[in-house]
Amino acid sequence: MTAETFRDFLRLLTDAGAANEIQTSVSWDLEASAITMRANATDERIPIFETVEFEGTDARLVGDPYRGPRARVFEHLSRAFELPDPAGLSGPAYYERVIDRLADRREPTVVDPATAPCKEVVRTGSAADLLDFPWPYIHQQDGGRYATLTTLVAPDRDGAWGRWSRHRAMIHGRSQASLLFLAGEQLPNRYYYEFERRGEAMPVALTVGTPPAVTAASEMWIPVGRQEATFAGGLQESPVDLVPCETNDLRVPASAELVIEGRVLPDERLDEGPFGDYFGYVNGPRRSMPALAVDAITHRKQPYLPFCVGGSGVGYAENSTSSLQVAAGGPDATLGLRAAGYDVSMAAPWPFTERTVWVIATDRPYAGYLHELANFIFTTWGMLHIDCFVFVDADVNPLHPRAVVEALALHADPATDFHQFGVERMPKVPLNIYQTPDEKGNAAVGTSKSKTAKAYVDALSAGDRPTRAIGEREDRERARDLLSTAGVDGAVEPHYVTDTDANANANANTSTDTGTTTHRSNR
Amino acid sequence: MTAFRNHLEFLRRTDDCCALDRPDGLSPQVVAAEALRADGPAIELTTDGRAGVELASGVYGGIDQTRGRTRGQPRGRYPWTRLGLGLGVDRDPAYVDVLETLLALGERRAERDVTYVERAAAATELGVRELGLPTPPDEAWPRFTLGVLSIGADAGSYWAPIHGTILDGRTIRARVPEAIAAHDRLSTGASATIALGVPSEALAAAHLLAITDRLATPIEDRGVGATVPLIPTAGGVVPSSAEVVIETAVADRQPDTRSEKREFWEHLVPSTTLTLEAEAVFSREDPVVPYAPLGAALSDDLQLAALSLSATLCDRVNSYWGVSPVDWLLLPAEGRLGLCLVASEILYAGFEWQLANLLFSLSDCFDKVIVVDTETGPRNLGQVLGDSWVKAHPSRDWLFSEADAPAARLPAYGRDDETGARLYVDATWDPRWKDEFIAPRVSITDSYPPEIRAAVRDSWAELGFESDAAFEEASGSGS
Repeated sequence: MTAETFRDFLRLLTDAGAANEIQTSVSWDLEASAITMRANATDERIPIFETVEFEGTDARLVGDPYRGPRARVFEHLSRAFELPDPAGLSGPAYYERVIDRLADRREPTVVDPATAPCKEVVRTGSAADLLDFPWPYIHQQDGGRYATLTTLVAPDRDGAWGRWSRHRAMIHGRSQASLLFLAGEQLPNRYYYEFERRGEAMPVALTVGTPPAVTAASEMWIPVGRQEATFAGGLQESPVDLVPCETNDLRVPASAELVIEGRVLPDERLDEGPFGDYFGYVNGPRRSMPALAVDAITHRKQPYLPFCVGGSGVGYAENSTSSLQVAAGGPDATLGLRAAGYDVSMAAPWPFTERTVWVIATDRPYAGYLHELANFIFTTWGMLHIDCFVFVDADVNPLHPRAVVEALALHADPATDFHQFGVERMPKVPLNIYQTPDEKGNAAVGTSKSKTAKAYVDALSAGDRPTRAIGEREDRERARDLLSTAGVDGAVEPHYVTDTDANANANANTSTDTGTTTHRSNR
Repeated sequence: MTAFRNHLEFLRRTDDCCALDRPDGLSPQVVAAEALRADGPAIELTTDGRAGVELASGVYGGIDQTRGRTRGQPRGRYPWTRLGLGLGVDRDPAYVDVLETLLALGERRAERDVTYVERAAAATELGVRELGLPTPPDEAWPRFTLGVLSIGADAGSYWAPIHGTILDGRTIRARVPEAIAAHDRLSTGASATIALGVPSEALAAAHLLAITDRLATPIEDRGVGATVPLIPTAGGVVPSSAEVVIETAVADRQPDTRSEKREFWEHLVPSTTLTLEAEAVFSREDPVVPYAPLGAALSDDLQLAALSLSATLCDRVNSYWGVSPVDWLLLPAEGRLGLCLVASEILYAGFEWQLANLLFSLSDCFDKVIVVDTETGPRNLGQVLGDSWVKAHPSRDWLFSEADAPAARLPAYGRDDETGARLYVDATWDPRWKDEFIAPRVSITDSYPPEIRAAVRDSWAELGFESDAAFEEASGSGS
């Protein structure tokens, strides 16, 4: 069954033996996140904290619910979307199936507020108190308590369902929070360059504990003119139920565990950060970000508040961000690049960072193609958070870490294949750790004061790759059967996309690179 | 010293060796390559009393370190773990301890301290074809790999790696380092002995000495000569515990057969072909010998070369400036030695440039070096492969040379007699930065106070988690 609510998703995780329902009382003050980080680091089951030491609302916490198993980070979402054989699906096959779902968009439906779970408790005015909920304090260096795994709903000029994206909020008191708004992203751009310039507040709804398809769609970069709600409907193969807000015209997922309705005020800033961020380090210094004024809070009884331990999804470890980037951001990017006319097999994050580097498997149909492709991405969705792309042969699986390391080591020539874009000319997210605090500055729109560079690496082979496998396919399969019988688990990600028969991508053939392309280094 | 069969026994005891009945009609090389692909344990193909040797693969390396450990997997398995066990370092050996043990095997001794003991293998009437060595799927003849060649002289014995094919009951076509083949002692008719299934010290020393071009000193004058009990043969001395010993005579020298498959050390030093005629075969009861699927990812010959070269380079850079700033140096077998990772204290601004370029001077294998801080240990390759991007400014910290350097040997684009560029990535904190510029790491150790860490650790099982309580909190500093 497709998980159409966050609670459905938790049940699926529990049924699959992937969740740990913890009854022991746990504190929101570092303890829940310390347990979660340890679970992330050890590839453990997902902790559901049923009892939280707290004097306010009887809420529960869930630590990094979207973190997938380390070797197959998309497995839980494939279960949530009811894809066939979720435990046996390879990464390339998962991507193709999700891409098919994204192409089959469904309009949402609007339900009666009286039936909407997120309206089980409605608090408006002074009764809407952020401090009545156990927002976790996540890292000891953080500037405050955070709501991290959110879907922010904001107005859309082009559609009725609003725009969705993920933004963290630092809690500042009963009725205020700061939102991480980085110019260059769609919703922040609307705030900085439309609402604030007009002196208007931007109405928003910060939702927590939305259905998996909603959370996944919020992680995607959906172009203007399209709406995340329809993509979420495609993912779950059924319309997403929406319900009107109490205090503004926005509509929010009806099954959300909690909804914070409010306004992002013009010319009002609050401190934001430091925070242990997706780089795996605590970014600093504390900076100013737009202020969210709370008008209402609606929620389910005993709401589950999922959270992400930022920065714990680097290296070998996974967290919700890193898994969602692979399981949602990757298929979306792949689809988007194909829709833009690029001959891409797969686009996926580098396995050891949450966002900074992406690997793109592609052919090179003509000279200059990789430059054009990198240029397209860096000027659109890859502008802020991504520093580098690694291009590999079309049949190399970007989700196979060794395949990518091998391609970098053997096929990326320092003389010709490393290309730097717009040296010290490109915008940069201020969360990075390689700029000094002075360079990051505190620009009014949330980018670094200093510009930076982007880079791409051409790790496509010239057809001269090491031994791919020994023996004929039937011999290899027989060997795998023998090993499996002896207890050796052979269900690993395929090195090459074409090593999986579940792959439906016509582009995923063996590299046909003729090696005739002339590379130019911008060094 | 650990005899090869005892090494296997240790792997079995640590649940890191899986025994299968040697299949009929399926090449053992295919099974070995698939076991490596699965990142599984070492494998042993048993014969259950049937004729022929038993085979073992993945016993010196075999781990894909880019994958990390998943839930339910045993802890403490790294690419150097199995060799470290064979070298007697520890059950859970530290990386640098394995490198240092390797180096000690190649050190020159002022005085000989050789132990001779009775040969474990007994004389047989077997022809070499009857040993039942494995035939790769695309080849006609059985192949032996991971062998040690020994040739004797008045001054002592000389060892080198050897592999080859069994052409008939007596004839062997073998690949050996050119440096030893060019030796007068390997003239036609000379005696040469092949030992298979030797202690890890002997095999690792042969690889180390070959890739560092130190084959001209008798083995008795090296550390390995004082470590491994020996027995004289018609060729030179061999480890007395060797599973199979083949005494041969050099029949022909055929230096021009480059189409032969290569063990990985041949990518680092020149090699050549010899034709050998087997004159006697000695075998232990129920012999077991290692074998490698040549060319496959993560094969043992590749890992032996990676560790030997890493040990050598680490020692060279730490012997250069009067201090030892380098914590560890790793040539990941996953990158087939085309990439060098080095963790070092940055002694002063610009030291990382000096370090990277010294490494380029010391080895022509790679043209990419990534310099990282010492806060991350070699066990945490995942963190290193993340830090190499997030700590390096994409325009300031990727430093390229002009494209007039000698082309690197191992990358696929390297061409003889051409030049290329070199790149080092500086993924270290700038020593000129103020302390407050240095971002704290997100980790269990750095993100939580000790009392919370202790409480979580102590209540882990009570909370219902199953992973072992010995999880390394400071995973970033694991050695």
